Amino acid sequence: MQDVVNQVINTTFGWNWPSWAIALIGYLIVAVILFAIAPFQMLFLTLYERRAIARMQDRVGPNRVGPEGIFQPLADGVKIFTKEDIVPDAADHWVHFIAPCVVVAPTMFMFVVLPWGPGMVPVDLNIGLLFFFAISSVSAVGLLMAGWASSNKFALIGAMRAVAQMVSYEIPAVISLLALVLITGSLSIVDMISYQGGLFISSRDVASVPDWGLGWFIFTPVGFLAFVAFFIAALAEGERTPFDIPEADSEIVAGYMTEYSGMKFGLFYLAQYVLNFLLCAITSVIFFGGWQGPGVGWLYAQAITPVNPQGGWVFNVLAGVLGVVYFLSKTYFFFFVMVWIRGAFARLRIDQLMDFGWKFLIPLTLVNVISAAVWVALTKWGAADGLAFVEGWSPLVRWAVAFVVTLAMNLGAYLYLARIFAHSQAERERLDDEVLESLINVV
Amino acid sequence: MLKTEELQINIGPQHPSTHGVFRMLVTVDGETITDLKPVFGYLHRNHEQLAEMNTYQQNMPYTDRLDYFNAMANNHAYAIAVEKLVGIEVPERAEYIRVLMVELTRILNHAGALGFLINDMGAWQTQLAFGMREREKILDLFESASGARLMCNYFRFGGVARDLPADFMPRLKDLLLAMPGFVDEMERLLRENEILLQRSEGIGILPQELALAYSVTGPVLRGSGVAYDIRKAEPYSIYDRFDFDVPVGSVGDVYDRILVRIEEMRQSKRIIEQIIEQLPDAQGGYMNPKARQNVRPPVGDVYARVETPKGELGFYLVSDGSTKPYRYKVRAPSFINLTPLGDMCRGYKVADVVVILGSIDIVMGEVDR
Amino acid sequence: MDIPRGNIIVMDRRRGKLRVGQGLIQGLKVVWDHWAGSFHKNENFSQIHGTFTVEYPDERLPLPQTYRNMPVLLYDDESGHELCTGCYQCQRICPPQVIHITQAKDPVTGKMVPAATEFIIEYDACMSCGFCAEVCPFDSIKMDHVYELSTADRVSLTMRKAQLNRPISYYASIAPDLWAEVQAGAMKKLQGSIKRRPDVIGLAAVLTEKIKARRLELAAAAAAAPAAAAPAPAAPAAPAAKLTPEEKAAKLAAMKATNANKGVAAPPAKAPVELSPADAKAAKLAAIKAANAAKQAGAAAPPAEVPAELPPTDAKAAKLAAIKAANAAKKAAEQGNSE
Repeated sequence: MQDVVNQVINTTFGWNWPSWAIALIGYLIVAVILFAIAPFQMLFLTLYERRAIARMQDRVGPNRVGPEGIFQPLADGVKIFTKEDIVPDAADHWVHFIAPCVVVAPTMFMFVVLPWGPGMVPVDLNIGLLFFFAISSVSAVGLLMAGWASSNKFALIGAMRAVAQMVSYEIPAVISLLALVLITGSLSIVDMISYQGGLFISSRDVASVPDWGLGWFIFTPVGFLAFVAFFIAALAEGERTPFDIPEADSEIVAGYMTEYSGMKFGLFYLAQYVLNFLLCAITSVIFFGGWQGPGVGWLYAQAITPVNPQGGWVFNVLAGVLGVVYFLSKTYFFFFVMVWIRGAFARLRIDQLMDFGWKFLIPLTLVNVISAAVWVALTKWGAADGLAFVEGWSPLVRWAVAFVVTLAMNLGAYLYLARIFAHSQAERERLDDEVLESLINVV
Repeated sequence: MLKTEELQINIGPQHPSTHGVFRMLVTVDGETITDLKPVFGYLHRNHEQLAEMNTYQQNMPYTDRLDYFNAMANNHAYAIAVEKLVGIEVPERAEYIRVLMVELTRILNHAGALGFLINDMGAWQTQLAFGMREREKILDLFESASGARLMCNYFRFGGVARDLPADFMPRLKDLLLAMPGFVDEMERLLRENEILLQRSEGIGILPQELALAYSVTGPVLRGSGVAYDIRKAEPYSIYDRFDFDVPVGSVGDVYDRILVRIEEMRQSKRIIEQIIEQLPDAQGGYMNPKARQNVRPPVGDVYARVETPKGELGFYLVSDGSTKPYRYKVRAPSFINLTPLGDMCRGYKVADVVVILGSIDIVMGEVDR
Repeated sequence: MDIPRGNIIVMDRRRGKLRVGQGLIQGLKVVWDHWAGSFHKNENFSQIHGTFTVEYPDERLPLPQTYRNMPVLLYDDESGHELCTGCYQCQRICPPQVIHITQAKDPVTGKMVPAATEFIIEYDACMSCGFCAEVCPFDSIKMDHVYELSTADRVSLTMRKAQLNRPISYYASIAPDLWAEVQAGAMKKLQGSIKRRPDVIGLAAVLTEKIKARRLELAAAAAAAPAAAAPAPAAPAAPAAKLTPEEKAAKLAAMKATNANKGVAAPPAKAPVELSPADAKAAKLAAIKAANAAKQAGAAAPPAEVPAELPPTDAKAAKLAAIKAANAAKKAAEQGNSE
């Protein structure tokens, strides 16, 4: 962000402002993004979810407040603000008070590395991806604080479940991204997006492919499997159905949120929806090219950038708008998928969730990392790296061979693991039955 | 090994998925249940004693309130009991209309029960909304026939309150057109869904012997593999005139109960189709007797039972020759089916409790009376 | 085990199949179909796709005629007479016992008359079973279709007679078929019970004031007439003055009855006369009899209570008027004879 600001102010306008002013302006913009966009996203997503799921259930959804119900979230917000804040007598008051803040703050931080459009990233950290996931796990602390401080059994169970689930599903999420980090060779989210230019095939893999902004990772077997694994893990991390176990309303009332009311409860909701938005956003950024799409690359090439100081500012605006439109439409599509899954499926049980995560998802993502290594070897290595036989092949052939090999590896791994998983499930059921028989001998 | 302590949790009486004011005192070791004690009585409204203060006719609308999902079926059981006691013959057409209503009740109950069950599993009301859609259609029919959607109060001693309205049959046929689509869709959504299988297969097993020992009835018993259906075992009304099958499960878990309920909806539809074919014409006002204050059965007692969607609903009436029953006892299927809950839940996880409870399909109005 | 007329189906659990997500995709498909189909409305019973929401305050489901919510009392539109005779049938059968009736008494003789001075239904405890409407022998209590009854306090749900009174035309508009079934019998019974109700007893509470005012008006007119016209005493003048309009009304009634019966399907033959022309004939006959009786009564007869009525507008009211005229005339004649 700062280099763009610097470019515009010092180079284009030639005002020669000091670097601290540039930094201040840059951070102000970032702060505005964090505190204006995030709650707005949450408000919008609640309405979006309710309307979409209502349609899936042959209903209409909230459509009374304002045209098509667009002010419904505001009405909800006013309601939740004016509610009485009830703290149980037995609660640990301070921890109970701090917990929602601890949950909300990290989700706000995660916006820092999120690129909205070409050149529109608040801070382009070179370890952006790592930062994103590192900071997201902080909120688990807040959840545990909330559950513990409430001194309520449901809350405690909910918090335990939340922490167990978040910790377990960080692993497949990060490993599935690791595969793409291998391919990209960078942890920077901006780099990952710029890698995804091209048309079906990334321009970085095969240079001759035209850059239409469609060389997304999802089109490769490695990326596809990583996407599936990551999206499932994201569902678990964002506590979405079928993994909304920590707040399973039919079992443990509302989990760690049971004893919260008023705006503290609202903050948990805010954190949850913002986190869901961010997970959808990061999915679209890493697997679907983020702001990449037909036209953005060309527009951005004409714009004012450090590389091209002579560009026209109108192209900055156009590229930005188009990029944001692409990015948000992808993000909202993934949120729709989340809603869709919520509309269709029941909830897993906590032990099944753990089974699925540890016995199925993690091995699958590990296999995917190996596939990614094969992919990198087949598309990038040469004789110098000890892979002489690919030297003579054209980049396209190398890409095709890599595609086929990794596809076979991933598909085989998936089917094999599914079979093993099914067997292990049957075995577990048998063991359960044995336990059961010992328990129900009461006739 | 870490020292662990058992935790006692009260699930209910105010809990989103206990289907009313019902309390389960659960002792858990981690997430595993070591003991479960069902506690009920929070909805006790003195139904039986109240009924002994009322005349026979006045009790009819109170039976609606027992199992408020299946008012028609409750009416049927009570009407049969009093008719047996007094010795009233029911005209043909009235019998057909009764069976029609009761079978519609069965469909709407199972649609709703499966919806609630899936809701308890954590699906966000989709299946419930689909079930409720079909239920609304049936309730519309009930409304046009009896005047009320839930508390129908449609049956009278010796007939039904009034004949079917003119637009009833076309609407019923429309409804039956939608029914296969609805049931198939429900099956597609439920039968092979991996998540649902995970949650329901091998969960809440009620072995046959245990089911019989607890005298469980209805889909729960049939799910455990006992082909016992009062409509077949002791045909009342005109059930001996219809072809229909009795679905049974093989394991006795939640999944079997789901399958049995789905299949029962199909069988109910079959019965309704046969009713539409065989329904005799109206024979005048005889089948629509008005409410009578002066039903005065001879001294004696009677037990009449029917197969409601939830199981065997029986009424035991003792008459002392006056217009009020001397003793009035309800054998409520929900109540009896709930008693093995502790044994069904022991050894499973906390999350399974609500699923098992949902699969029993209880209505607290009937449990506590 | 064998069961008659059917089989035992053991449900197929499809065990041993490799499940790699087909069921999940199937479930997603079902939900997608509903999402895609939800942009049109679920029109009729045979559809399973499309929104089925009824956006309540804007749209309402049509209520079937048989719909029952809360009981109300009916009164005759024209004469204002209630159909209720205070027979206590409804109070006796009411399962939650929320109906409370006070029987009317003749102010002069102190005897019971077939009407209710007060009729209370506690709507807050009513269970809408419809027994009261079913047992009512005079078809006076009927189930209303209004369901928006919410109030801020419980007391306002204790309905008194004035709040329960509804005109017959209202009930005939919400449940035409049901009213047509009972119409003839109900109206005949009403005529019977009107005979035994002195003065304003049994008049719909909403109309009592109106009718009283109208009576005063008529009395004033009657008082003014002799002062202006003849030296004859006021009492004998009154019947003479009334005779002509009464006759006219009866004839009008007869004509109207004929017309009305042409239009409306004849109610089931519970009425004393079977066919519509006969109806008209009966009305005419009654009118003529009334006229004759009144004539015979001569000057001595006191004025009858009859004429305090709004102009009759349809068949039953006309008949009623004719019969009333006849009764009044008869009474007058008897009194005249005894004198």
